[in-house]
Amino acid sequence: MNPNKIFPDDPRLTAYALGEMETAERSEFEQSIAGDADAQQAVVEIRRAGRALEDALATEAVPELVVPAAGAKLNREFNRKVTTFPHWLVGLAAAACFAVVFTYTQVEQANRPLVVQPSQPGANEGAGQAGTRLVEVQLLPEKDAATEGKELMKTEARAQARTALVDEASARIAAKAAAAAPVPSQPYDFSTTAAGSVQGSALAAAGNSGAVMLEQFSVTGNHTAMPALRAAPGSGGRGDLSLGRMEAAARARHHIHRPEESVRPDARQNFNTEAYAFAKDNDFLRVKGNELSTFSIDVDTAAYANVRRFLAAHSRPPRDAVRIEELVNYFPYQYSPPAGAVPFAASLEVAGAPWKPGHRLVRIGLKGREVSDAARPAANLVFLIDVSGSMRTENKLPLVKQSLRMLVEKLRADDRVAIAVYAGASGLALPSTPAARKAEILAAIDQLEAGGSTNGAAGIHLAYDVAKANFLTGGVNRVILATDGDFNVGVTSEGELTRLIEEKAGSGVFLSVLGFGMGNYKDATLERLADKGNGNYAYIDTEKEARKALVEQAGGTLVTIAKDVKIQVEFNPAVVQAYRLIGYENRLLAKEDFNNDKVDAGEIGAGHTVTALYEVVPVGVPMPETGGEVDPLKYQRTENREQRTAERSQQGKSTEMLTVKVRYKEPAGDVSSKLEFPLVDGGRAFAEASADFKFAAAVASFGMILRESPHKGLTDFAQVATWAREGTGADAGGYRSEFLGLVAQAKAAWGE
Amino acid sequence: MNHPTHISPPSHDNAALVQDAVARHQAPLLRYAARLLGGDADLAQDVVQDTFVRLMAQPPAQVDGHVAEWLYTVCRNRALDVLRKEGRVRRFEEGQVERLTAAGPLPGRSIERAEQQASVLRLIDRLPPNQQEVIRLKFQSGFSYKEISRITSLSVGNVGFLIHTAVNRLRREMAAMPE
Repeated sequence: MNPNKIFPDDPRLTAYALGEMETAERSEFEQSIAGDADAQQAVVEIRRAGRALEDALATEAVPELVVPAAGAKLNREFNRKVTTFPHWLVGLAAAACFAVVFTYTQVEQANRPLVVQPSQPGANEGAGQAGTRLVEVQLLPEKDAATEGKELMKTEARAQARTALVDEASARIAAKAAAAAPVPSQPYDFSTTAAGSVQGSALAAAGNSGAVMLEQFSVTGNHTAMPALRAAPGSGGRGDLSLGRMEAAARARHHIHRPEESVRPDARQNFNTEAYAFAKDNDFLRVKGNELSTFSIDVDTAAYANVRRFLAAHSRPPRDAVRIEELVNYFPYQYSPPAGAVPFAASLEVAGAPWKPGHRLVRIGLKGREVSDAARPAANLVFLIDVSGSMRTENKLPLVKQSLRMLVEKLRADDRVAIAVYAGASGLALPSTPAARKAEILAAIDQLEAGGSTNGAAGIHLAYDVAKANFLTGGVNRVILATDGDFNVGVTSEGELTRLIEEKAGSGVFLSVLGFGMGNYKDATLERLADKGNGNYAYIDTEKEARKALVEQAGGTLVTIAKDVKIQVEFNPAVVQAYRLIGYENRLLAKEDFNNDKVDAGEIGAGHTVTALYEVVPVGVPMPETGGEVDPLKYQRTENREQRTAERSQQGKSTEMLTVKVRYKEPAGDVSSKLEFPLVDGGRAFAEASADFKFAAAVASFGMILRESPHKGLTDFAQVATWAREGTGADAGGYRSEFLGLVAQAKAAWGE
Repeated sequence: MNHPTHISPPSHDNAALVQDAVARHQAPLLRYAARLLGGDADLAQDVVQDTFVRLMAQPPAQVDGHVAEWLYTVCRNRALDVLRKEGRVRRFEEGQVERLTAAGPLPGRSIERAEQQASVLRLIDRLPPNQQEVIRLKFQSGFSYKEISRITSLSVGNVGFLIHTAVNRLRREMAAMPE
């Protein structure tokens, strides 16, 4: 009998198995079990059990805090300042932290005695004093405390105690902020700049003091019960002390609005967290002084689908959701394709502007080279799918899956597909797989499930890494992001997110963004991502739309034929007095940007058409209001210019209305090439224009009505319908008929 | 337990250390604290925040190299303080720990694997709380016996014994689980 036999209940077995022994002890123990099969078996099993425990424990969730549902109404007028970052939340944060006075004895959570130094708002603090400077925080009586009861008071007290722990740096800021912040006894006015002025300092302070926890508190005076705001730390597995206020606010917003996912269709000022960037309609510009109009092309179609979604719900779309260029560009037009080596051809047309007699309407169209499915280069695709909890609804993840299935069906055997997901964690649901193994890919799509919160940034890193790892030189390398845009963990500051995408775009992997859902749909964010990511952006509200974006226009979605495409139009002052670019407000470029290859612009996909409309005031027609006259220049010799104009007219160029210049780069290139197309106005009336022209004009007019544009002129939904009907033409795909349906719906609803 | 009478202002080198610590350890600490506090996520938040505030006050030299262990130790002590104060220490020892809802299965995993893991978690939950704690510190937070010993103030031998007993039991129970 081995005197050194190790018995199964010897704890050293486990210590050894788990690598807890020091060198000497370990070799001694190894000798002891050298011939002992039972002991060795036990060691193996202990290690296996250990791995199983690790796996299981890794799936255990970090506690996520449930926020009571809130019903606060957000005044949509402040969308202007809000976009994706609710400034009012920061104002509240500031108020809670610094401007509210706290009675120390009410803290139930007094775990340790702390030195309380009352700080006067505005008091100057000397540098380097010992002791934490605490801001006195007063517990405000909760208006609806009856419902929550003592529990709420307790949590409030804890919250106040928490916010009272401020380190020196932020306390210094706090004192300054306290001086500026509004006292909550006044009605809380979101529009005051007082909140704005607090922002900067409060932001830093909130960042320094750790996850800012704000509990429900009442602002006395206007009886608004503010929803409980809470930044749930670490729910994405990343610390947020360093991310501070933006994340706290954005996440808090997410938590508030989770219960309010459905859009109430009746009120225009809805309580939802959709975010649209504000854009002022382009005004008329005098040619004198603005001879050049420069902008980046845009093939995104999301705004049209989004507007359609609103109309289907009998709801008027928010003005800023209506990007006219995306409405017009949603429809395919019959422009002639390019001949030869150039990636696109231009199609220019000019006729009367139907909503303003006397004005001319110029239609600039670009048509991208078609690339057949068989002829296109091999594709390396990474689907990056948001599987966070908010994607659970029927019009989101299930629709995403359907859309992707459709796309996969269209792929060739030499294409590759990977699926990355992001939610509480990010992961690879399917490593890069040849499209020949379709069943595997479809199975992986089927298994996608929603749950958790969103760590968009980690997902983006993963997706691009996978795309780069499987990079096809000369092929199509693309990340296809499917989301409702609600990134609320990790990188949530829009600046950080866009910078991340810009950086990723430099790798040669392009990005398509597919937006889904409503209620917390982040239109502005998604558009910007696609913009910075060298990609296109579509909104998928129905299976039909999925088919359009991913099957019919798969070529366009997948294959980029030209990037950084910019347009610069030079107007001839002898013919044109003033002009107005319809739409493209957030695509405008400075005139110097046209020849600057470092300036990013839009991409054209295979078979894509791009349409831009200018409303032009010819010479001899009364000028609309265009803003002030510009003083004649003192130091420029004007005789020279008159001379040049005379010269040009002698060369017969004075009848040209304008010249369109287009700059573009090859998809993998860095140096741009230029094309020029002059246009002479033949004086055609609107009735004589082509069907495509009339239809585009109708859509633009529709957009202007929805935007309540000051320049919409003489139009209403009935007129739009008339013009559109004249332009329906062949209508492959039925999209134009669908548009007519939308117009009829709008007319019935708002009878303009 | 020494209660500091005041918290000194953080030094500059500390900031990076603290930020890193938060990024790495905030979530697991929350999990750990919530366990100790009987599932009270709200309270756990307090305790964890408190822990980090104390970290801010530490001269970096003192914690460098064993930040995690330091955090867990402080967190544990804070949690016990809280429980003692609120008269809930007994709850911690009773073993009736509230089950935290787990997130859905991670993407790509099959249903069976997720179910298996859920079963394992249930088995862990049935362990006596002192065994549970060391099991989690070892297999969830990745601490060594020595570190666990320092965190929990148990001897290394004691820790080894608890883990051995728990693993043995779990091994048997997992083997008995339907595949």
